[in-house]
Amino acid sequence: MAMRRALTQEIQNLIDRGRDRQLRLAVTGLSRAGKTAFLTSLVNQLRHAGIDARLDLLKAAREERLLGAQRVSQPDLGIPRFPFDEAMHSLATTPPRWPEPTRGISELRLTLRYRTRRAHGLLGDTATLTLDLIDYPGEWLLDLPLLEHDFLSWSEAQLKAMGPERQRYAHDWQSAMSALTPQDVVDESRLAALAERYAASLSDAREAGFSHLQPGRFLLPGDLQGAPVLQFFPLPGVQESDRATLEALPSTSLYQTLARRFRYYQQHVVKPFYREHFRRFDRQIVLVDVLGALNAGPERFEDLSLALSTLMRSFDYGKRSLINRLFAPRIDRLAIAATKADHVTPDQHANLVALLEALLAEPIKDLRYADVPVRALSLAAIRATQAREIEDDGRRQPVLRGHGLDDQPLLIYPGDVPPTLPPRDFWQRQGFTFTGFRPPASDGASALPHIRMDAALEWLLGDKLR
Amino acid sequence: MSDPRPGRHYRLDEPSPDLADSLESARTYLPAQASEPLSDEESAAAPTLDAALAPPRKRRWGLLLVLGSTLGLGIAQAGETLYYATLGGDWLAGAWSLVGLLALGLGGKALLGELWRLRKLRRHARLRARLDEEWMQPDADTSAHDPMALADELRSQMGLSTAHPHWQSFVQAHQPHHSAFETRELIAHHLLHPRDRAARRLVTRMSGETAVMVAISPLTLIDMSLMAWRNIAMLDRIAALYGLQLGYASRLRLFRDVLRNMAFAGASEIATDAGMDMLSMNVAGKLSARAGQGLGAGLLTARLGLRAIATTRPIAFEPDERPRLADLRREVWHRLRRLEDGSKKP
Repeated sequence: MAMRRALTQEIQNLIDRGRDRQLRLAVTGLSRAGKTAFLTSLVNQLRHAGIDARLDLLKAAREERLLGAQRVSQPDLGIPRFPFDEAMHSLATTPPRWPEPTRGISELRLTLRYRTRRAHGLLGDTATLTLDLIDYPGEWLLDLPLLEHDFLSWSEAQLKAMGPERQRYAHDWQSAMSALTPQDVVDESRLAALAERYAASLSDAREAGFSHLQPGRFLLPGDLQGAPVLQFFPLPGVQESDRATLEALPSTSLYQTLARRFRYYQQHVVKPFYREHFRRFDRQIVLVDVLGALNAGPERFEDLSLALSTLMRSFDYGKRSLINRLFAPRIDRLAIAATKADHVTPDQHANLVALLEALLAEPIKDLRYADVPVRALSLAAIRATQAREIEDDGRRQPVLRGHGLDDQPLLIYPGDVPPTLPPRDFWQRQGFTFTGFRPPASDGASALPHIRMDAALEWLLGDKLR
Repeated sequence: MSDPRPGRHYRLDEPSPDLADSLESARTYLPAQASEPLSDEESAAAPTLDAALAPPRKRRWGLLLVLGSTLGLGIAQAGETLYYATLGGDWLAGAWSLVGLLALGLGGKALLGELWRLRKLRRHARLRARLDEEWMQPDADTSAHDPMALADELRSQMGLSTAHPHWQSFVQAHQPHHSAFETRELIAHHLLHPRDRAARRLVTRMSGETAVMVAISPLTLIDMSLMAWRNIAMLDRIAALYGLQLGYASRLRLFRDVLRNMAFAGASEIATDAGMDMLSMNVAGKLSARAGQGLGAGLLTARLGLRAIATTRPIAFEPDERPRLADLRREVWHRLRRLEDGSKKP
């Protein structure tokens, strides 16, 4: 019975995909890029479309053709539902709080109802579009590039990617490692202790603002806490040239043990995650917290750029046709968004977008080559501030008004955003300190204020809402 | 590159602007300070290129001079006659000169009105060019102007008050963070789409009616004058929809612009449409020669109307929004068919 239902569901999905009435939207972003806020706001805006949500840049909403959206039960019952109500609840408390960071995978299916532009006779006046969204911890996303490696090349790449500042956090682990060689036989408990140190170095680095941290499950193990599959780490000092000698080591050696666990991690943790959730996407939005990276400094900024460009190689991009829409969906349209645009004044948005484009310069080139349209924009899923202007030294000065994370009212000019990454010596002189804001007071029943959510939706879904 | 400005906190009670220190004193700058040339060559070169490509501009200074001096001398003459007439008690001559003064005044007023409307048309074209330049790039937000200020200028050019419902709905939709491109989209939706629709309806109606009138009129001479009259009326109304009041000279100029547009810019469009036009005219010709003629006239009116819309609309159409001749052709064709069917029935 259950199987028959699953089969009908599957067939229905296929039919919907064939008619192009179903979309899977990938909301991609590292941890703290604002994925949960984005999804919460997206559901909220679409629910309120046509009533009190201001979606003027979404053409279907502007022409009053969008009738609204509904959350429906998702196809995969084994995955928790996206905690929309909890997120809305935390926004409606006094003082309002940002939704809790995501700790596991969750799914969400929305159906959008809209009036078609011209009545198609047979198909009727209204149509629906099914939108599938998933939320997941950003940390896990970083495991996707891991599939391109084997243990040896991964170890090499990991240690090469560590800049001087990043090394500081790994120092403890590295000194413990210095006594070991690949051929040593190391017992379980010592391995576990070493892996714990490595995990601690990763989480320290994350606290300090680094993003390119693998393996992601070390930061957020979920149900794998304490399992041996999470007890491995890169080996310092191994090189591609010694591959033959390393491969020949006995299976009890440190190198072979770690390599085995690495392979297991790839096969049984990363691959299923990738296969089940990351293969079949039609549209993608990449959320990047550019301001956070600017606050953190140049090394972390480059680290973020590296993390994003390796990450984006894990997705399939290309033009769609009927055949691959059904069997091998590809991302045929992409938005890259600098989130938290409400933390700077509106006149800085252009610079924010320019900086984002500089940050993602490499992936953008690849996407151009694949002929996939990309649009860069600045957005704030939930607008925490209001743009104001004051008179300062005889000239008009744009400022922001909002509440700090400590609930203190603020009137602030947060500073300029540079259109390109400033030279290194600038960070020694000045650096950036963009202030955080708490979400705006809301009663939970009205549409959330936002910046350019409508533009993002128009780019991602607009062509399906005709 | 100068460093980005750091953040700054302000006190929450916004200080009121102080007028006393708004006067700026003289300043000296260090020679080492980064300075830029007043105009960069790139942007300076572009207008000359545009100007070179544009059709040569003729200014009718001579005509204006003759008209102006005629008016001036006429007024002087009439005034002098009036003066001597009052001195000499020649009341008849005085009355005539008064009439002459009145006529000259009316002529002067008409001339000034024409000049004023011409100026308005020119200002419209300039605003159009500026909007094109500043609002058309989607991402590069280099516009130095506040998009809202430009929108307001457009509003006053279109002759709408701030309380007009279309403007009000635009103001509600507009947010301070909207870029120039986004503002343009909103303006197009809230201010221009209702007018586009009205203009399109007008063109459809006019072209259909022209087709019918030409199809049933017995004389070619009447055909021609009907066409000319109706087309000019249509142009007037389209211009009025987009906030342009046309005088004699400005109408002539706009008509010339539209025709030039049709002849040069629209030539490729005509070429692609021509096949379809010929075909439908042939089919209509099978019905009757009159219907064929009528269809031809109707299509010409429709094309003229669409060009007029494209020429007077303050913001250029998006590629997918542009009203197409193909839609109108069907309308015209339906009208003629109805006429034919009606004539066969009895």
